[in-house]
Amino acid sequence: MDGIHDLGGKQGYGPIDIDDDGTPFHHEWEGREWGIAQCARTPGITIDWWRHCRELILPIDYLGRPYFDSWAQTDFSTYIEAGWMSLDEVDAGKSLADPPASGGPPPAMTLQQVLEEDRAHAHRYDAEIEALPDYSVGQQIRTVKLGHVGHTRLPQYARGRLGTIHAYHGAHVFPDLSAKGEETYQPLYSVMFEAAELWPEAQYSKDKVYLDLWESYLMEPRA
Amino acid sequence: MPDFNAKKVAEIHQHLHSHLPSESALRVKALETLLVDKGLVNPQTIDAWIEAYTEEIGPKRGARVVAKAWCDADFKHRLLQDAPAAIDELDYLGKATAHLKVVENTEQVHNLVVCTLCSCYPFSILGIAPAWYKAAAYRSRAVRDPRGVLAEFGVDIDADVEIRVWDSTAELRYLVLPQRPAGTENMSEDELAGLVTRNSMIGTDRDLSKA
Repeated sequence: MDGIHDLGGKQGYGPIDIDDDGTPFHHEWEGREWGIAQCARTPGITIDWWRHCRELILPIDYLGRPYFDSWAQTDFSTYIEAGWMSLDEVDAGKSLADPPASGGPPPAMTLQQVLEEDRAHAHRYDAEIEALPDYSVGQQIRTVKLGHVGHTRLPQYARGRLGTIHAYHGAHVFPDLSAKGEETYQPLYSVMFEAAELWPEAQYSKDKVYLDLWESYLMEPRA
Repeated sequence: MPDFNAKKVAEIHQHLHSHLPSESALRVKALETLLVDKGLVNPQTIDAWIEAYTEEIGPKRGARVVAKAWCDADFKHRLLQDAPAAIDELDYLGKATAHLKVVENTEQVHNLVVCTLCSCYPFSILGIAPAWYKAAAYRSRAVRDPRGVLAEFGVDIDADVEIRVWDSTAELRYLVLPQRPAGTENMSEDELAGLVTRNSMIGTDRDLSKA
């Protein structure tokens, strides 16, 4: 979707607030939300669906609220959409289910168990597929010109542009369909774009931008 | 099970916009209260995750990886060829690093990492991303004005050095391998790790000799 989240190359956001004291969480609630996001599990939710639900946050909230706040709102929306909680319950601030919770909360995990869990979060998103990749390293491609209404990982700034295949990563889960609950795989490439191909003011630049792009985002350069 | 109904989610966000408490802390509290009430999360497990990413998992891990690569050419080779396997040797493989790629700075090349579409970050070796990495200013400008961005971080890149910006659009995650500073030949791996800044592993720092 052409949403507020697609920020690459957009202008007017001003200088970067580079101050950072190196602490992971600056407010207690940020840590709470981080922890909630790590231990909350809803069957059937994919990372791409979760990302799409975050993209669907109202632009004023997406830009105007702190980062981990948007995670909390995304969690609310995914739970509610999947029927695990209701808007009435959000408004009431408590479970209205009768009987309330089944079996109580899951058992508490220790630090050691959580560290093992983090290790288990090293999810792989690639798989063997029979089809051979259409493009080879060094080949020139053009990205497709248009996006679509759903989730996609081809940013606006890189659409309809000429690039060069830099590397092949094998077949990875295709996010546009994974965000609809469909697990399919496509060849994934690292694609190099000259800055001059992307930005009018970069005509004489030697800098480069690399994106990881799925095969259906790409076409023959003259197509 | 989710219905993957984006229209419904947009309506939910509209409702939440006006019905949730006005402060972030209260909104997160409301979420935790409801999840605990429903038996979906255990607050002590949340505590453990906070402790894990405050005390155990953070940029010190990335710094160890960099220092080891500086000292051990074979490890560096493995790191550049297959980063997940290499960091697994140090038991650092974990959240968001199963498809890690390491990109190496040289005299001629400077690498910079961003996620323009969300805020993808290699959690298990760098921990929680700094606020600026997740902010609209950095996400919008890193791909378009990398030299201007770096200047704001106090990093001036010579005109003849090529900047490579890595936009994390898939499940690959990027770690910059900064250059080893001159004059550190006699330093131990531990001492070298102390020179490596978090920003240098994202690419918003370059010259580590000034530390």
